[in-house]
Amino acid sequence: MISKKIRLSGSVIILSMAVFIACSKKSGSVDSKPTENGFDKGAMLVNYADNLIIPAYTTLQQQLGQLETAVNTFISSPTAANQQGLKPIFKNAYLQFEHVSVDQLGPAEKVLFTNFFNTFPTDNAVIDGNISRGTYDLTLNSSINQQGFPALDYVLFGSNALQNLNGNRAANTKKYILDVLAHMKALNTDVLDKWKNSYRAEFTGNTKSDAGSPIAFMINQFAFEMDQLKGPRIGWPYGKQSGGVQYPQNTEGYSAGISVALAVENLTSLKSMFNGNGSGKGMSDYLVALNKQQLSTDVIKQFDVTINSLKTIPDPLSTALINNKAQIDAAYREVQILLTLIKTDVASATGVRITYQDTDGD
Amino acid sequence: MKWFKLIQFSFSRLQQPVSAAPLATFRMLFGLMMFAGTLRFWLNGWIDDLYVKPHFYFSYMGFEWVHPLGGTGMHVLFIIIAVASLLVAAGLWYRISIITFFLSFTYVELIDATNYLNHYYFISLIGFLLIWLPAGGFFSLDTYFNPKLRITKVPLWMIGIIRLQIGLVYFFAGLAKLNTDWMLHAIPMKIWLPAKSHLPIIGQFMYTNWIAYLFSWFGAGYDLLIAFFLINRKTRPMAYLVVLGFHIATAVFFPSIGMFPYVMMVSSLIFFGSATHLNILQLLSRSRTYSFTLMPKLNTSFLKWMLGIYFLIQLVVPLRFLLYPGHLFWYEEGYRFSWRVMLMEKSGNTFFYVKEPSTGKTYEVDNSKFLTPLQDKMMSTQPDLILRYAHYLATVYQQRGLIKPAVYADCYVALNGERSRPFVDTTVNLAAQSLSWKHYNWVLPYKSNEK
Repeated sequence: MISKKIRLSGSVIILSMAVFIACSKKSGSVDSKPTENGFDKGAMLVNYADNLIIPAYTTLQQQLGQLETAVNTFISSPTAANQQGLKPIFKNAYLQFEHVSVDQLGPAEKVLFTNFFNTFPTDNAVIDGNISRGTYDLTLNSSINQQGFPALDYVLFGSNALQNLNGNRAANTKKYILDVLAHMKALNTDVLDKWKNSYRAEFTGNTKSDAGSPIAFMINQFAFEMDQLKGPRIGWPYGKQSGGVQYPQNTEGYSAGISVALAVENLTSLKSMFNGNGSGKGMSDYLVALNKQQLSTDVIKQFDVTINSLKTIPDPLSTALINNKAQIDAAYREVQILLTLIKTDVASATGVRITYQDTDGD
Repeated sequence: MKWFKLIQFSFSRLQQPVSAAPLATFRMLFGLMMFAGTLRFWLNGWIDDLYVKPHFYFSYMGFEWVHPLGGTGMHVLFIIIAVASLLVAAGLWYRISIITFFLSFTYVELIDATNYLNHYYFISLIGFLLIWLPAGGFFSLDTYFNPKLRITKVPLWMIGIIRLQIGLVYFFAGLAKLNTDWMLHAIPMKIWLPAKSHLPIIGQFMYTNWIAYLFSWFGAGYDLLIAFFLINRKTRPMAYLVVLGFHIATAVFFPSIGMFPYVMMVSSLIFFGSATHLNILQLLSRSRTYSFTLMPKLNTSFLKWMLGIYFLIQLVVPLRFLLYPGHLFWYEEGYRFSWRVMLMEKSGNTFFYVKEPSTGKTYEVDNSKFLTPLQDKMMSTQPDLILRYAHYLATVYQQRGLIKPAVYADCYVALNGERSRPFVDTTVNLAAQSLSWKHYNWVLPYKSNEK
């Protein structure tokens, strides 16, 4: 009489476990694409991969090639005129980087792409030491503040740049510049290849929103870039963290004097990531499908307000920190509003946790 | 008179000897599950992430003396938990093992309030209850080595208190769901379910309203009633089927709740009668059948008093929120330790400003310098944690040379899919506010007419 009950509950347990396992296995496949409510998350991810992320890396690849050519021209005859000629090409490549800055997921996250490309401020003393010694290992994680665009900015356009490229350190300096560039190219090629060969399928096939999924990653990255804009790009150099003591030399692209242009490009590219380049297949459209039309509109509006507000600050930011406080204060307020919208309202509406790390919750 | 007799009857029924088998299987399953959970925690790298890497830990009031023990210390502590779990399962040095388990597990949970989870609290409570029960006296290594320790029967209440504890968890979780957002608007289900549209077959329904209502109402009904159906012998097998179905569904839909579904599926087995449990034990070892009766010798009057007070606390604590004014989900005063599981969608972000009154200088705080992203997220929606962090900032900036630093917070919180709104009065110096169980007046009201 007991064994009957046991057998019943036993078989029930086994049966439900079987169903559970069967279900969890199936969830890996992509054959079911729900398009209820007229929204297809898979198509949104395809749009991100094919029209935004992969093209951004491809363009950066081209720009790095052009930069390399121009850098070679400049270092073979390092004159002030050639330095000026290099600047717009350097700027273009750096601006293009701002388009992939937010894409730190998948292969880019594995190699810490953004960290190696754009950790600023650089440690100039260590860079100088590297150049003098002529020995360094740019693949080490501890060397992220000795390379990338910020290091090029310093070595190519810093106040001692021409002197170093013409003096007795010239050979070592030139080698360092080319090594930094080579490492950047290698990283970008690696990430682009991985996207094309394998990660695209993984990315577009995962429409989940839990920690580690592309959607959660993207929203977390939006929040992260907003934090970067508010802190390292504007707030910290401006003295927000330090009781008004300013750090102009800590701005992004300090030596080339292009900080505001970079910040504007960063935010503009963030906006096109948010609205899926206006294709109808972006996060903003996903919000509409979730009945958050107003929020979606408000976020796009706030993007525009913030971008326009940033544009009122003149480059170089290092001098604007003193001369254009009203504009910076105004832009800072708008950045803070946009940050809250993304970090709190958008994350909440999409059920994504802003944690950058995975733990249990309830 | 009729009622009196009924109560008298129930009390005498509670003394009635029943097989100790349910306690033994419960002990084994609980121990093994805790071992698996500890292992999983370790392998996920969470010991380092949650208890070694952070610079600052959110203590519980009254437990400020609980500190993390450093990288080696924390790993040793988790080894102790794991070993104690296995010893509990095996029933070896049972009393010492279960006390060790309870103390070490609870110590870890008390380190940082941002890691609070209802099922961790549940595990601590079960660990505490097991200390007082002779769960090591049957089908254990202790009795194998020393048959004198063997018992075969226990009074029914000894199994009953575990059932009661589980029943309270479910019932309070159900009560908590009886609010307008959950029942009338199907929120937060409406927010969470569309994120699950990747699931096969059912995924396509995730954007529809009816499924959100179905989940909400079924969830509330399940929590409120399941314990009663489990207690009733006739409905028990069917009810356990529902337990399995429900918790497997929650595990599939909300994988981030981690061990919780498994804890509940395994714990609910205690509702089955001794015959079932004896059969389970016989699967492990066929030879043991006992026809004699050996009852544990216990100081029952002490136990009765202790357990009476324990369950009184268990009834009062989840209801303490009634003493606070304002919207519970907004203020979260009386929210923890009350079985409010996956009840609301709440997120926020907070900017802190440290001001030096004498110079008027303002220092904006980069939270990532002091908190992990998880701590930052948890802190931003819970007033007591905001206050604790503000106090910490005041000491840090004082050490940096600021004179009498004042701390202000600009905080925005979005609750249950509504737009974010200001959470903290930006004019209040939080460094001067004290931590207490009183209502926090510096939290801005949820609605303008609210106290």
